[in-house]
Amino acid sequence: MAGNAQEGRTSRIGNVLIRAAITLSMVATLNFVLFRVIPGDPAALLLGGARMSVSAERIEAQRQNWGLDRPLFPDQILDYLSATLHGDLGYSFKFRGRLVSDLIWERLPATIALVGLAQLIAMLCGVMLGLYAGWRRGGAVDRIAMGASLALYSTPSFWLAMVLVVIFSTALGWFPGYGIYSPGASIGSTDKILDYLRHLALPVAAVALGLIGQYVVVARAAMSDVVTEDYMVTARAKGLTNGQMLMRHAFRNAMLPLVTLITLNLGYVVAGAITVEAVFAWPGIGGLTVEALNARDYPVLQGIFLLLGVSIVAANLLADLAYGILDPRIRQ
Amino acid sequence: MSESIVRYSSRSRARAIKSFLSNLLGHAGAQLGLLCLVFFLVLSAVPNILVGPLETVATATGDFLVPPSSQHLLGTDEVGRDVLNLVVHGARISLTIALLATVISLVVGTTVGITAGYYGGRVDVWLMRLTDFFFVMPSFVLALVITPVVLEVMGRGREILGFRPSLFVILVVIGITSWAFVARIVRSQTLSLKERTFIDRARVVGSSNLSIMVRHILPNLVPQIAANGALVVAGAIYVETSLSFLGLGDPLQPSWGTLLSLAQRAGAASTGAWWYLGAPGLCALAVSLSFVLVGNALDDTFNPRQRVIP
Amino acid sequence: MTNLSQDKASLLEVDGLSVEYRLKGVSLRAIDRVSFALQAGEAVGLVGESGSGKTTTAMAIAGLLSPNARVSGGQVRYRGNLLPIDNDAAMRPHRWTETSVVFQGAMNALNPVHRIIKQIAEPCILKLGMSRAEATARARELLELVGIPTDRGTAYPHELSGGMRQRVMIAMALACRPSIIIGDEPTTALDVITQAQILKLLGKLRSQLNLALILITHDLSVVAESCDRVMIMYAGRIVEDGTVAEIFAKPKHPYTRLLIESIPNPASGIRIIRPIPGDPPNLMNRPSGCAFHPRCPSATGVCTTEVPSLEKFGWGRVACHLHRSSQEGRVAVHA
Ligand SMILES: Nc1ncnc2c1ncn2[C@@H]1O[C@H](COP(=O)(O)OP(=O)(O)O)[C@@H](O)[C@H]1O
Ligand code: SF4
Ligand SMILES: [Mg+2]
Repeated sequence: MAGNAQEGRTSRIGNVLIRAAITLSMVATLNFVLFRVIPGDPAALLLGGARMSVSAERIEAQRQNWGLDRPLFPDQILDYLSATLHGDLGYSFKFRGRLVSDLIWERLPATIALVGLAQLIAMLCGVMLGLYAGWRRGGAVDRIAMGASLALYSTPSFWLAMVLVVIFSTALGWFPGYGIYSPGASIGSTDKILDYLRHLALPVAAVALGLIGQYVVVARAAMSDVVTEDYMVTARAKGLTNGQMLMRHAFRNAMLPLVTLITLNLGYVVAGAITVEAVFAWPGIGGLTVEALNARDYPVLQGIFLLLGVSIVAANLLADLAYGILDPRIRQ
Repeated sequence: MSESIVRYSSRSRARAIKSFLSNLLGHAGAQLGLLCLVFFLVLSAVPNILVGPLETVATATGDFLVPPSSQHLLGTDEVGRDVLNLVVHGARISLTIALLATVISLVVGTTVGITAGYYGGRVDVWLMRLTDFFFVMPSFVLALVITPVVLEVMGRGREILGFRPSLFVILVVIGITSWAFVARIVRSQTLSLKERTFIDRARVVGSSNLSIMVRHILPNLVPQIAANGALVVAGAIYVETSLSFLGLGDPLQPSWGTLLSLAQRAGAASTGAWWYLGAPGLCALAVSLSFVLVGNALDDTFNPRQRVIP
Repeated sequence: MTNLSQDKASLLEVDGLSVEYRLKGVSLRAIDRVSFALQAGEAVGLVGESGSGKTTTAMAIAGLLSPNARVSGGQVRYRGNLLPIDNDAAMRPHRWTETSVVFQGAMNALNPVHRIIKQIAEPCILKLGMSRAEATARARELLELVGIPTDRGTAYPHELSGGMRQRVMIAMALACRPSIIIGDEPTTALDVITQAQILKLLGKLRSQLNLALILITHDLSVVAESCDRVMIMYAGRIVEDGTVAEIFAKPKHPYTRLLIESIPNPASGIRIIRPIPGDPPNLMNRPSGCAFHPRCPSATGVCTTEVPSLEKFGWGRVACHLHRSSQEGRVAVHA
């Protein structure tokens, strides 16, 4: 029996890893294919596109380097995968000859700050509020929270961002509605941090509000399912108070599906963050995406796609593992 | 799902549909949502009659960025076009894209789901691996990288089926990237339906696989497909609006997302032109919310859950 | 033989209890004027088709009705005191310390994310104020009592077989030394051998701990082996009540008779219960007169118009027009 359990566990983790590998290789394949169908010489494209004058020798060298003179399959795709694994994503079109990986690396911290903070706030507020609404389904808190959440959930985050700018920046002037630092702000480090936080406020609020709507909806649904379960009747029959039933029996069971649901909402987080950055000219990945889209800077766009793909797969892996730890039915 | 759906006499089906409709319309949310959807469908059916042809820079009549007045109920944009005119025409474009994308997504998702569930075995394994990919990768992220490349290849010139190329590409890309969720649900339903006796009976009678799938399994999946279809539309509106906002839309056929993109470029937020960014955003919000409300009500009607503790 | 007389103070007295459910504006009377008494240490079977109101009766007694239920009449007394069965908070002290419930094993009645020993110990800590160590020791004792090796205490519910899970439920039900245990189809969904083991265990514990047992089942044969008395329910009403011996030997109510005839005979090798012909009653649209008349082989004209009341008959009670006229004579004889 123990052997079986062990086996079941290994095969589950194995499955999870296989799925992740398949997804990643499909992301890479898509990138590879898309790049080859763009009109123009791939070697020239890799060196910065038609907008840069590059010597014939350099193009030739690039062609050799990337094996672009060899058959597409399997040589080129293998070379491409190996280059990608080494972090070689080619050169940007727009930022004359700069490495895509460098560009992404520079922009990453701003996005991590924005998304991380928004996620944290949204999880704390949204999940708790949603669980409570589901527990007291039909109550006043539930109705208000659910109405507001469905509205937030249906609102594009960037529009929320624009509305926040109109109200809190343009009309009230409480927060800056643009950029990451005020031009010519004083140099003192505390001032600088305060200035940064003031710039962070509206973008974080816009992303977080959208997420809160999302999390309230899923957490409420998870809790609504739990309160129809037989073990809740058992808990009630045991004479537990409502608070004890909630904390000891409902909470953990409701958290289980949330782990997966929250990961599946990553698309929403990404869409929210990218468009919100565009509103605030926030110098992160979203800002870079908009610049790359406008300039049709394919290598950068594909680099971002790869980054998002890897993050999403990683998040799913983590969720799968966390789920395995939280749910004894899977752990064993 | 209860056995009650698997019925063939037209009278009992009519009765089932009637009781279903009365249950659905009992939801306040569904009423509100349906009312709102009817309103927007009317707008998008006859925009020319309501607000005249789509205004362009050349035919713009107003001043630049004028707040709402009796002449321009929703104000004007940065080149003097009437925002009401733009928003009503935007309704037609946004709704058409979202609905067509949903049709594609439902067709692909249902086909993949039924096939995988019905045949099982290797077909199932490979179709589900494909589904997993689209399940994990958000439609928005895929569309973000696929759309510009396809546009570059196709060129931005002529219209396709009455759509500007970029809109056509966006709707197809949304459709073929957002079906995974539907496929999973359809597959699991198919698996349980396959075990039912009426499928065996059909097999014994000698119906072909295709006819069993289309005539016996598909009708029983309609409730699930409908409830999820409503949520797929809401998602499609979200993705379309976001992509258009990032500049992938077409200014000659402006959807609500494209209008918001134009508003952003014109600095509507920082100049306080709330009418310009408010109108299209509220419309997108209202339509998307309506679909979510209707979808939730459908789900409640099909899967009533009974709370067991006070 | 159990004493059915009501003069001796009963452990539990149910008097004219009616419960209605409300669903989407329509209300449905699930049990209708149910009355019976339960003595300390007595085992009573509550038998009827699915939907006849057995669970509703049990949940009403335990004060565990679902939120859409309403007690529309009657009362329940425990040791002579009125139970506030429709007041959730007021019922809390009573729960598990006086009455506990063993739910159907196939259901998800155990919390899937907690170890079983923790679930057994929980009421000891919360209701009896034991320390964690005391409660764990008590839980070990209980596991032993129901025949589970104590080292299995760290298992999660899904790691146990259906029979073992049911033993855990029983151990949990005993945790606070209640006087009444209600078993709601405790052996349904178990195989025949496990079913017999669980029933035997319940019987053993009952005599050992002087527990009163209300055993709910749709299978009359389950009751035969483990109860003193049996009450037959049909469409929310008790239609017959008597000792097991009496009911099996001389069923009065036509429904009881059909139930007994439908019990499969092991000798014939048929194990499937033959259902009683006709449709179960629709509570939304209850048949006029005796609710059983559309299916009753002995129905007469009066059955379609007049509701037969549940009246004393010999040592037990029965609600049927067939036994009405003769009943007065008998009572007279006994009096
Ligand atoms: N929570 C509820 N809401 C509405 N109707 C219910 C509920 N619980 C039970 N019922 C109805 O009450 C009647 C009696 O049910 P129940 O007491 O569960 O019967 P049994 O346990 O004998 O099968 C049935 O018709 C059932 O459909
Ligand atoms: S009252 Fe009439 S219908 Fe009802 S059980 Fe007796 S004989 Fe049958
Ligand atoms: Mg029951």
